Amino acid sequence: MTSGKILKTVFFVEILKGLALTFRTLFKHPVTRRYPKVKVPAKAGFRGLHALARNAEGRMKCVGCGLCGAYCPSKCIHIYTSEGDDHAKIVDRYEIDVLRCIFCGFCVEACPFGAITLSEHYEYSETSRGAFYMTREKLLENWDKYFAGPKGERYFKEFWLPQSNTYSSYEGQAMFRGRAKGKE
Amino acid sequence: MITVTINGKEIKLEKPVTVLEAARSAGIKIPTLCYHEQLEKYGGCRLCLVEVEKMPRLQTACTLMAADGMVVRTETEAIADVRRGVLEFLLINHPLDCPYCDKAGECELQDLVEKYGPTTGRFKEKKRKAPESLEDPVLVRNMERCVVCTRCVRMCEGVQGAAAIGVINRGGHSHVEPFSGGRFECEYCGNCVSACPVGAIMSRLHRHSYRPWQLVSETETICPYCGVGCTLVAQVRDDVIKRVVPRIGTPVNNGLLCSRGRFGYEFVGSKERLTTPLIKKNGVLEQSTWEEAIGFVARRLGELKTRYGGDAIAGIASPRCTNEDNYVFQKFMRVALGTNNIDSTARTGYAGAQAFIENIFGQGATANLIPGLANADAVLIAGGDPTAVNPILGLQIRSCARKGGNILTIGHVKGVRHYNPAELKPNVHTEAALLEGVVTALKEKKGLPGSIQTLESKIKEIHRPLDDAARTCGVTEKDLAAFVEALSTASTPALVIGKEVIQSAGGSYNLLLLSAVAYLVNARIHLLSERANEQGVVDMGCAPDLLPGCRPLSYVEFRRRYEAAWKSPIPEKQGMTIFDMIDAAKAGSLRALYVMGENPVFNLPNAKGVEAALRGLELLVVQDIFMTETARMADVVFPALSWAEREGTFTNMERRLQLLRKAVNREGMEDWRIVVEVAGNMGVRMHFSSAEDIFAEITRVSPLHRDLSYEELEKSGIYPYKGEPLRGVTGDIAVAKPAAGDGGGLFLGIERPLFHSGTLSRRAPGLVKIYETAVARISPATAAARSLKEGDMVRVSSVIGYLELPVAVDFAVRDALVMITNNFEGRGALSLMELVLDPVLRAPVADKTAVTIEKAGR
Repeated sequence: MTSGKILKTVFFVEILKGLALTFRTLFKHPVTRRYPKVKVPAKAGFRGLHALARNAEGRMKCVGCGLCGAYCPSKCIHIYTSEGDDHAKIVDRYEIDVLRCIFCGFCVEACPFGAITLSEHYEYSETSRGAFYMTREKLLENWDKYFAGPKGERYFKEFWLPQSNTYSSYEGQAMFRGRAKGKE
Repeated sequence: MITVTINGKEIKLEKPVTVLEAARSAGIKIPTLCYHEQLEKYGGCRLCLVEVEKMPRLQTACTLMAADGMVVRTETEAIADVRRGVLEFLLINHPLDCPYCDKAGECELQDLVEKYGPTTGRFKEKKRKAPESLEDPVLVRNMERCVVCTRCVRMCEGVQGAAAIGVINRGGHSHVEPFSGGRFECEYCGNCVSACPVGAIMSRLHRHSYRPWQLVSETETICPYCGVGCTLVAQVRDDVIKRVVPRIGTPVNNGLLCSRGRFGYEFVGSKERLTTPLIKKNGVLEQSTWEEAIGFVARRLGELKTRYGGDAIAGIASPRCTNEDNYVFQKFMRVALGTNNIDSTARTGYAGAQAFIENIFGQGATANLIPGLANADAVLIAGGDPTAVNPILGLQIRSCARKGGNILTIGHVKGVRHYNPAELKPNVHTEAALLEGVVTALKEKKGLPGSIQTLESKIKEIHRPLDDAARTCGVTEKDLAAFVEALSTASTPALVIGKEVIQSAGGSYNLLLLSAVAYLVNARIHLLSERANEQGVVDMGCAPDLLPGCRPLSYVEFRRRYEAAWKSPIPEKQGMTIFDMIDAAKAGSLRALYVMGENPVFNLPNAKGVEAALRGLELLVVQDIFMTETARMADVVFPALSWAEREGTFTNMERRLQLLRKAVNREGMEDWRIVVEVAGNMGVRMHFSSAEDIFAEITRVSPLHRDLSYEELEKSGIYPYKGEPLRGVTGDIAVAKPAAGDGGGLFLGIERPLFHSGTLSRRAPGLVKIYETAVARISPATAAARSLKEGDMVRVSSVIGYLELPVAVDFAVRDALVMITNNFEGRGALSLMELVLDPVLRAPVADKTAVTIEKAGR
């Protein structure tokens, strides 16, 4: 051990340096955020709690094609469909086990209709597991809650570009544009 | 030896095949759309184009025969270009509604476009529009999606032989439509559904309720309906059978199914299924626990056995249950209750007829391969429509006709009417005279082979010249002579015997005559079987005079052998047949009846009489999956597991043993387990913990099933058995000639529809939608004589009862008959029929019930 080190140890130099920093900081503004009073706005493409999108008429966009469930790496999306009274396909149950979700966002990428979305909501605290089992109704509520107004429209423009934008083509092109708008 | 090189891989071919087949055999995939293993080559889709060296243009691999030294390349840039072009053309009209379409995920077009297809198309024209056709109850047609590969049309015409659909219009407007327009009105085999590569023709039963990748399990099992024993694959999501599909390469059906197999599976998930044991208290069936119900049955059976003896108890086994169930049940009856009173509804025809034929020709005479029928050069059909009773067997007959074989029928057989059959339509009750004539003529033409003396002595007694036979039966002598000629010149003929012959007055005599025909022309015999395990229930010894392996009870050596194996005495006295049981119950000498998976109140003649007889019993135990007519009367009802929920084996009509596998899970007990529990409570321990254990005992005990195991069955069904058949144990042939016909009037006939089977199909909504209700089917002449028209309500009455049914006028019905089904609750033909038994076959006589028909509500 050198003499310098011995002196430093004897006179607590490092501890004093540290205390000096503490003392200086006492007079500065805090850098931490005052969560939950102050909240950070999420960036585009943030992957928070799931929601099922509604279309302009307020109906659920999902047609139950099941691609999200097929892609889902943790297999937490369960979809049950059946034939409706008008013989069209109806989604009886759309369920996401949020506690199993890894928020990879593959479901959003897979969806041909932009029906499943990941909202900016990230505060998950509940007193039961059941609350994290999202049903169709809860997911639609989430849309109303977290994508109210123009937010929902913006969602698909800022980060999750709709696939139809990538493959833009003329009317009549051999391409599926959804039939939900009105039946022929 | 032909050597071809495909993609640099040298392939040696034993026999000439197409390039496509050669490539597939070497594991090289060539994309196709119009090609299908079971169909004629078509070369329509142009997707299988390949490059062949020294050939100027691309060639279609599906039609090009591989030649020696050929060098083929299947995946080059030029080929990919062409395929992309072809797919672009197909997508001009094909809608891209994959997210809605139930086919997406298993759609051949989707897969091809994903692999080769263009990302965009260059066509600006509007797509063809056609509304989805939902007029049919079980099939949905979406002609926007049709790519006109014509696989369905070729399947319908060339394989199924129904020719119900065709391509209409031309060019871009061509699409597939049933000839009847809206509803298909066909045989509803659904083979077009499995042929369709896209989502143009699909089943409505599971419409929009799954995506193909959500079907988590598929189980290869055996169809529960008829005796053909088709292999089917049950595809399951969340323990619900979503759909049933065939598989190419299976031994009996090879990728084909009939309406019952394909659309009749929904009963498994029916809400009407029994779930808990029921015990009758104060005249009402009340829910109970397994312990209580099993304890109650064991106690009551024990009491009745000590008080009245074992012979006061009887058991009815089931041709719907597995071999294992039936084996355990007969062992229970013989060991625990000490009686041979065990029988099944196979007694209503199959068992007696088979015993009769085997008595002449030896055991295994009816065990002939069903696909072999297609290679026969003449098929004689007597007593029923094979295409309705055993549809897949019927397809083999049609295939035989297509290959140039002669189809000879006695009576009008609706299912083969398009195949130019030589039809003889004898007057009612004169079939015997007709056959006598045929036998006499054949005897003269072919001579007696001299191998079976007992039969020949009977043949010698038969004498009826052709002209006399023709006059008696009301057929022309020319037709009859041609018929005999066709039979006598055939080198590999087959004889198909249906239940109508067996259940006719003088059934044994008719069978003798048919056996004589088969003997004289050396024909293979096929005995039509209506239930899945009708053969198995007999083989398992569920008969009053047989032990497992079809060993006669009366032979002491056999009995000793089983006694040693079961370590328990077996009663010597022959038991009661199912009809004796009913008589005994009526007389009061039968005190208890244990019914496993059967519905005697509906499935035996004179339903009211049977019901009254069973009412007199002190104990009636029923094991079933539904609340049947019999279960309603029972003192105790056990809910059993259905066909899809358990393992076991079925023996089909060609005596092929096939394995049933569990497709869905359900809480409950198999039939055999319930019987084992009851036996255990009576102090008779049977140490079985799985169906395989039981099968192991069967193979140990029954000489017919020797050296078999589930492992072997796992690979494919076993045919024929390795065990010892019982040849040489033949006795004298007893026959009972029919009394002379009693002239005119209307008689009741049992209609055996293609879409129903027993009482099981009632609970399959798909089948009920196709064939909704019972009708009285009469010929146009009968209708005209009584000024009745289609849909009129009529009262059909016999001596013992009447039914009120709507009229259906059908050209296929004979003038003297009123055909009624025996499938619908409260409207079964058998409720009109008096119980008259053939003295030899012990089968009921079904064609002597005189009925009258009149407008209802007068």
